[in-house]
Amino acid sequence: MANLNIDSVKQRTYDAIVIGSGISGGWAAKELTEKGLKTLVLERGREVKHNRDYPTTNMMPYEFDHRGEVPLEIREKEPVVSRCYAFREDAMHFFVKDSEHPYVQEKPFDWIRGYQVGGKSLLWARQTQRWSDLDFDGPARDGFAVDWPIRYKDLAPWYSYVEKFAGISGNNDGLAELPDGDFLPAYPLNSVEDYFKQKLKANYGNRHVISARCAHLSKPNQVHLDQGRGQCQNRTLCQRGCPFGGYFSSNSSTLPWAERTGNMTLLPFSVVESVIYDEKAGKATGVRVIDANTKEATEYYAKVIFVNAAALNTNHILLNSTSSRFPNGLGNDSGVLGKYVAFHNYRARISAEYDGLLEYATDGRNPAGGGYIPRFRNLHKQETDFLRGYAAGFSANRYKGEDRSGFGEDLKRQLLNPSWSNWKVGSHMMGETIPKEENYVSLSADKKDAWGIPQLNISVGYDDNDEKMVKDYIEQMTEMFTKAGFTNIRANDSKQAPGLDIHEMGGVRMGHDPKTSMLNKYNQLHACQNVFVTDGACMTSTSTQNPSLTYMALAARAVDYAVSELKKGNLS
Amino acid sequence: MDRRSVVKGLLIFAGGAVMLPSCVLDESKASIPLDNLDVSEGQEQLLAQLVETIIPATDTPGGKAMGLHLFTLKMVDDCHGKEDREVFMKGMDAFDELAKKQAGDSFTKLSPAEQRDVVAAVNEGKASEEVLGFYAILKGETIKGYLNSELVMTKLRVYELVPGRYDAYYPVNKEQIS
Repeated sequence: MANLNIDSVKQRTYDAIVIGSGISGGWAAKELTEKGLKTLVLERGREVKHNRDYPTTNMMPYEFDHRGEVPLEIREKEPVVSRCYAFREDAMHFFVKDSEHPYVQEKPFDWIRGYQVGGKSLLWARQTQRWSDLDFDGPARDGFAVDWPIRYKDLAPWYSYVEKFAGISGNNDGLAELPDGDFLPAYPLNSVEDYFKQKLKANYGNRHVISARCAHLSKPNQVHLDQGRGQCQNRTLCQRGCPFGGYFSSNSSTLPWAERTGNMTLLPFSVVESVIYDEKAGKATGVRVIDANTKEATEYYAKVIFVNAAALNTNHILLNSTSSRFPNGLGNDSGVLGKYVAFHNYRARISAEYDGLLEYATDGRNPAGGGYIPRFRNLHKQETDFLRGYAAGFSANRYKGEDRSGFGEDLKRQLLNPSWSNWKVGSHMMGETIPKEENYVSLSADKKDAWGIPQLNISVGYDDNDEKMVKDYIEQMTEMFTKAGFTNIRANDSKQAPGLDIHEMGGVRMGHDPKTSMLNKYNQLHACQNVFVTDGACMTSTSTQNPSLTYMALAARAVDYAVSELKKGNLS
Repeated sequence: MDRRSVVKGLLIFAGGAVMLPSCVLDESKASIPLDNLDVSEGQEQLLAQLVETIIPATDTPGGKAMGLHLFTLKMVDDCHGKEDREVFMKGMDAFDELAKKQAGDSFTKLSPAEQRDVVAAVNEGKASEEVLGFYAILKGETIKGYLNSELVMTKLRVYELVPGRYDAYYPVNKEQIS
């Protein structure tokens, strides 16, 4: 028996464990396995194999029972996920249903989740911008949160590293606030996007419209072909999973790459209950997993553990990883675990029309979505009554629309002979929010999930700074649109709950000081050095960029450090 | 117990060999399963005739042959709220009453020309709020079903699943502008 048990433990022992297979977990898995570590990747949801498990990917609109609409019964049963723009009939199967994974909303929070291999990397909006020092400097300059323990120079080579592999299309725009990168050719701005770009430059000087940088293979390199991926075919049906591997996801890129090393073991249906801490050894020894279906518990062991469960789930696991050494959650000597959660303020959008440049339209589809306006407020110094600022999307489109006024043969003729609309322009804000102690997540004292784990309690809200920023965005965009000659300008504050931005961050923040932060400059828990967190939970502040590219770069960098430390014997 | 079972039960009770009056036949159910709407065969026929009037057969098929009435029923049944469903059902009855009042008979019994006259008035907004509410839902779903049909998407206004291109400065003729 004893020997059998030893064998069993041996079989459940790896060099490294990665919790989560989404965008950052996929990167950790790729890097660890490439460096020769036998790596166990744990995913709480089902397997989703590239192509094999994209059931709707080649369906025509008329093949969907409700032509894309989500039936009312589902919308009423799953109100939170139903508010997500991408929760449609073609991709419903890649989203967590509220009813299956309940959580406690101390304040309204629309928590959008993807529990399957690949996580939300299948579903993301694929926008990828680097941070600059104007972002990393934010907390120190403006006196909130804590200082980031890294600066742009620390991450720059790792941005290049992940950009080259993932495939990021974009231009080198030469902007201090949005560093250039290693890009594939950009998707061009269209005539009205270019026109607005020129108008902004003429009217403001420091406000820019650039081609949105996105994780699409506009022109694949050998490294992308080697991944089995091909050129983006402009379907813009990405949320279904792409048969061409045209956009970056764990499923199409990092996970198959890791698998090919022969060093990866991927275990779906594995709900991580906690990280196991060994008091004598003074380090984590493994993780406790509950089988999502049988609910049987199993322990797995490794020298190094990467927690990449998605921002709030990573908080959840660490909070639930208690021991006499860490009664308040793993590595939580400071008491800041779960606190200083922040997100992106997506509340405001604006639309208008333009009757110029009607000699142009567009043909085909732009997977980048159009233009991007980098942050221009409070960039180099404080100039408004609110802290930080916002980036914005900007796009212009014309539609082939049809007159629907008639009936009978007239209507049929109308429907089959559409004509070009004028230009419809639109923008949405992506505001930085300030991490605060009172925006937190914690374990519910009385509610448990189906696996016996305390539910996550979420208490995250807007503050006065966010309200001022919404107001400023609407004022400034209205002015910019007016100066460009756009008409019928309509701005809207959706007042949507935090969470719907799907950019929740923090709770396990990086920092210099173990007394006020959880992670050091290598994403390593200050107080439990063989555990690393490189997903959204690690973020000290949010800035305005879409965050995934930064998670990828941080994950690759942290693995490089972890493996070098392992080799030096510093983690064992 | 649903009405179909009741009618079936009556038939069995009566020994089967009975001539059913037409009003009972009208109580037969729609030909597709519905969870929230209680639609009779007669009402389904009304809808079929109505979508055919809205999108008639020409050199290409019309709404009835394309099953747009069934698509509308499915959408109203699965995707619309309770309020819409009530508007739809009440307005459908009111629409048939309007046909009787305006043209002297149930909509399905009218000639195509008479049917067009009834719809013409409704399409111009000359009807009660009830009828207009019903018509708006029906016309909206009929157009959605038509534009998102295999016929239209593969032959008449071709939808490209895989465009494989993006032209940011696509030239447009002035004539194409509405």
